[in-house]
Amino acid sequence: MENKLLFKPGHTACAGCGQAIAARLVIEASGSNTIIANNTGCLEVFSTAYPESAWNVPWIHSLFENAAAVASGIEAALIYLGKKEGINVIAQAGDGGTADIGLQALSGMWERGHDILYVCYDNEAYMNCLSISSLIMTNHGLKGILDIKVGDEIAAFAQNTHNLVYKKCTGVFDNGIKDVYELRTHHHSIKATSNHPFLVLKRNGRGKKNNFVWKTLEEIKANDEIVTLKRVEAEKSYDFSFHKVEKGDYKVNKINPIEIPEKSSPELLKYLGVYVGDGWVREGRPEVGFALPEDSQERKEFIDIHNRLFKSKLSIDKMYVYAHSVNLARFISSLGFRKGAKNKIIPDWIFTLPENERKAFIDGLMLSDGYKLNDSWRYTSSSPELLKRLRLLAQITGFRVGKMHWQEVKKDRQCVKRKLLKDTGFGYVCMSKRKQPDIDKWPSQTKYRNFLIDNKYFDIEKVTEIKYIGKEPTLDLRVEDEHNFIADGIVVHNTGVQRSGLTPFATNTTTSPAGAQSTGNIRPKKPMPEIAMAHGIPYVATATVAFIPDLQRKVKKAISIKGPKYIQIHVPCPLGWRHEPEATVQVAKLAVETGLYPLIEYENGLLIGRRQIVPKPVEEYLKIQGRFKHLLNNPQELKQIQEIADNNIKKYGLKLEPQVT
Amino acid sequence: MKEFLEGSRAVAEVVRLCKPGVISAYPITPQTHIVEELAQMVANGQLKSQFVNVESEHSAASVVLGAVATGVRAFTATSSQGLIYMAEVLFNIAGMRLPLVLTCANRALSAPINIWNDQQDSISLRDSGWIQLYAENNQEAVDLHLLGYRIGEDKSVMLPVMVCMDGFILTHGMESVDIPQQEEVDKFLPAYKPLYKLDPAEPVSMGLLADPDYYLETRYAIQETFKELLKFIPKVAQDFSKVFGRDYKDGLIEEYFTKDAEKVIVAMGSVCGTIKEVVDELRKKGKKVGLLKIISYRPFPYERICQALKNVPKIACLDKAVSLGAYAPLACEVRAAFFGQKKSPQVISSFVAGLGGRDITLETIKEIFKKLNQKELDLEFMDLKPELLKQEYGE
Repeated sequence: MENKLLFKPGHTACAGCGQAIAARLVIEASGSNTIIANNTGCLEVFSTAYPESAWNVPWIHSLFENAAAVASGIEAALIYLGKKEGINVIAQAGDGGTADIGLQALSGMWERGHDILYVCYDNEAYMNCLSISSLIMTNHGLKGILDIKVGDEIAAFAQNTHNLVYKKCTGVFDNGIKDVYELRTHHHSIKATSNHPFLVLKRNGRGKKNNFVWKTLEEIKANDEIVTLKRVEAEKSYDFSFHKVEKGDYKVNKINPIEIPEKSSPELLKYLGVYVGDGWVREGRPEVGFALPEDSQERKEFIDIHNRLFKSKLSIDKMYVYAHSVNLARFISSLGFRKGAKNKIIPDWIFTLPENERKAFIDGLMLSDGYKLNDSWRYTSSSPELLKRLRLLAQITGFRVGKMHWQEVKKDRQCVKRKLLKDTGFGYVCMSKRKQPDIDKWPSQTKYRNFLIDNKYFDIEKVTEIKYIGKEPTLDLRVEDEHNFIADGIVVHNTGVQRSGLTPFATNTTTSPAGAQSTGNIRPKKPMPEIAMAHGIPYVATATVAFIPDLQRKVKKAISIKGPKYIQIHVPCPLGWRHEPEATVQVAKLAVETGLYPLIEYENGLLIGRRQIVPKPVEEYLKIQGRFKHLLNNPQELKQIQEIADNNIKKYGLKLEPQVT
Repeated sequence: MKEFLEGSRAVAEVVRLCKPGVISAYPITPQTHIVEELAQMVANGQLKSQFVNVESEHSAASVVLGAVATGVRAFTATSSQGLIYMAEVLFNIAGMRLPLVLTCANRALSAPINIWNDQQDSISLRDSGWIQLYAENNQEAVDLHLLGYRIGEDKSVMLPVMVCMDGFILTHGMESVDIPQQEEVDKFLPAYKPLYKLDPAEPVSMGLLADPDYYLETRYAIQETFKELLKFIPKVAQDFSKVFGRDYKDGLIEEYFTKDAEKVIVAMGSVCGTIKEVVDELRKKGKKVGLLKIISYRPFPYERICQALKNVPKIACLDKAVSLGAYAPLACEVRAAFFGQKKSPQVISSFVAGLGGRDITLETIKEIFKKLNQKELDLEFMDLKPELLKQEYGE
């Protein structure tokens, strides 16, 4: 038995990656006396990013299409050295590197009869993310990408009408640690990988219509114009549904009377703005305090609002204003501002409020920790998350916002109205009222400068810079229909998944998308096992990560045979196929059980093994994958796919006949 | 031992003497005789190599890549379309620092399709990281293969070598060539000992993904190796002359009557033989002319060229290739060599000739020497047929 690991953990495959599972099983079955030639592809990229390698066997990667030829050279060299006996030579690739660009070298290797096992990891397409710090616009306000769940309604850009629409999130994918770049415009910034598509305006010249195209981050240059979010749908005031503690509740003998508003209002939002900058809550005492020095304008305004809203007592001293109310303390705690100057944020629900309430909130913020500088306002805070969200909030509330400036400073430095108590970091953003150009007076000029100037929800901004940040954990979302969403205020696309020769009939990929006029890929899968057999090679088999002992048995069987061998392994890709990472094996199993991926084994041209099934209808396999979602309401297409499955079942005799008693 | 044989056969003989473990090639005119000869030798048991008949040049290069990666000396040969088809793999081989010798039977590039000789094919790969050596005659072609393996496989080099010989002119020309003995070759060329190889006893991963944090240094390293080669190649040439008795001086250039010359042609390949004939003829008439032959095109010997030609007032660069849209390749390099130098020629004229196999005759060379009397020529095509250049308008 082998003790050491031959394909080590710590590589950067996605959670649930079928190919990673299969690759490990193949090398474990083959053993340490193996040399691998690997084509370019997902496996090679995530397992060998210099200076690390997951392979504990000799391994070489050359190009996208030549693993079969490189392996031929390795085999020839071993024969020359008299060392071939006892060493397995494996050439492996994805379905693109096998059936498309790699087919020539593979055919040559088969024809020459080299003693090589060729493994094809079939994930049925060519499979590319945002940094985990991205903030996504949903119908419940702004959410961190880590908090997005399948089923959430995500704001998207409708590509035909240029309107703001809400579409369901159909998947969240952890893409692991990747190289991340920051794209900046004057008012937005976002972190993403170089292959992440953004919606860019393509100017087609005088007299011609401009249109939008998706460009990946690496294709975008400074001064390219991208689509950003200007504002959201005018939402309604927020219902708090807060239940007060009353006299007579369990162990409550005495309580200061107070009124807690049921809905949000501009006044309350201004009050809360002041709270974010100057306030704190201690529920135990109970105490809600505000740092508002006496004789300051803020204190006067604040006390006015407090009395009107809450009708409760305040105690004051030189520096501070207090409300000793357990209900007020609990109410404010429930609103999601978090505690501590470095931790405070603007919670999601504020983004869903009507414009006047959002504006009042910003006014409140300015009243506490902001100051006017000529025509613009500057807001300071030691919470970077707060500043980040404030930028986005201000952008959709009719302000122009600059970038966040951050600095680390020493204690005793004067900061707005007080001295710092210790070394700390803080930052500020500047904002000013957005000046609206006169669209009616100068229609063509204003439209030329900003293509979406008369659009209610979206705006065009020029890219100012793109720079490399470093390696960060990344995530991506799948959004139905429009396949885009708004992250950090910028319209971005789902990750791309392009078709290959092994992409099954009717799959929705980015180069064969399902649209109103198309049901996806119009070509059936290239029959690689048949092509292998036409070359007369001694062993051909299909396998899947759903049936592991079968896979390993086939690998072991193959390497025991002299000559060229071909094994094609079905490996679900949660990212590309759009299913849950934990469903990989289940998906693979259904592929077999519906008859869509027959498990067959040929030796010297004769069928010596097949996995028989009790056939399940193809819908069961299709419905759990986002890439086939578009077919579920299309009975014609379903019928065609069921036919493919039925033909497979008939051709290979897959149907398990009931036992005769 | 001196033999009178076709260039291709001479190359096959020397490759046999170098004992490669794996040979893989795809036939293309005018390289075919080389690989056919080698196949015959393997069939006769004279050469114990694994001969892999592949389905394309791309795969041929990939097979030898795999073989060298497994620690075995390998060989391939190609031309023109085949060289460009395998270009992707050639960059890969150099980038992976795998030593190899490839014979390029120089041939013109399609389109239009043309099987005759010019140097466009190998010159188009000058950026690839391959060492490029050009042969004037079949003897040099043989010797450069020995030098190639010895230089490339040295642990301080670890780069592949392209031996360029003019297609048909050298490959199909019969000359008297001294084919070395096996003992001499074994003395000069030790067995290949790789720095690293694919071996289950000591697993390594080759061909990893290098992101922007790592890629730059790999290219710098190859560039530095090329700088060191300018000192290393002369050393190897010295060793060569001790074993085989043929002196290539520094192995980078050959100076033919350049010392007191007033006009010198700089050229590579078989045309140098023609130029030497003209130089001899003109010298008899008292004309001070000379030839600077370039043997090593990569690494390009800038310093040696400056040393050799700084006192020559008029230089002609003869290119058998063209960089469409810019100055000719060799002319560019020579002009760059003299840029900023205190002493340099007054005139460096560029001439393109022989493309698509058009004969470069003694008259052409004399014409070039004559044209050096004119003011400097940016780029002059020699022996153009004006009747083919007439514009014709259809009805």
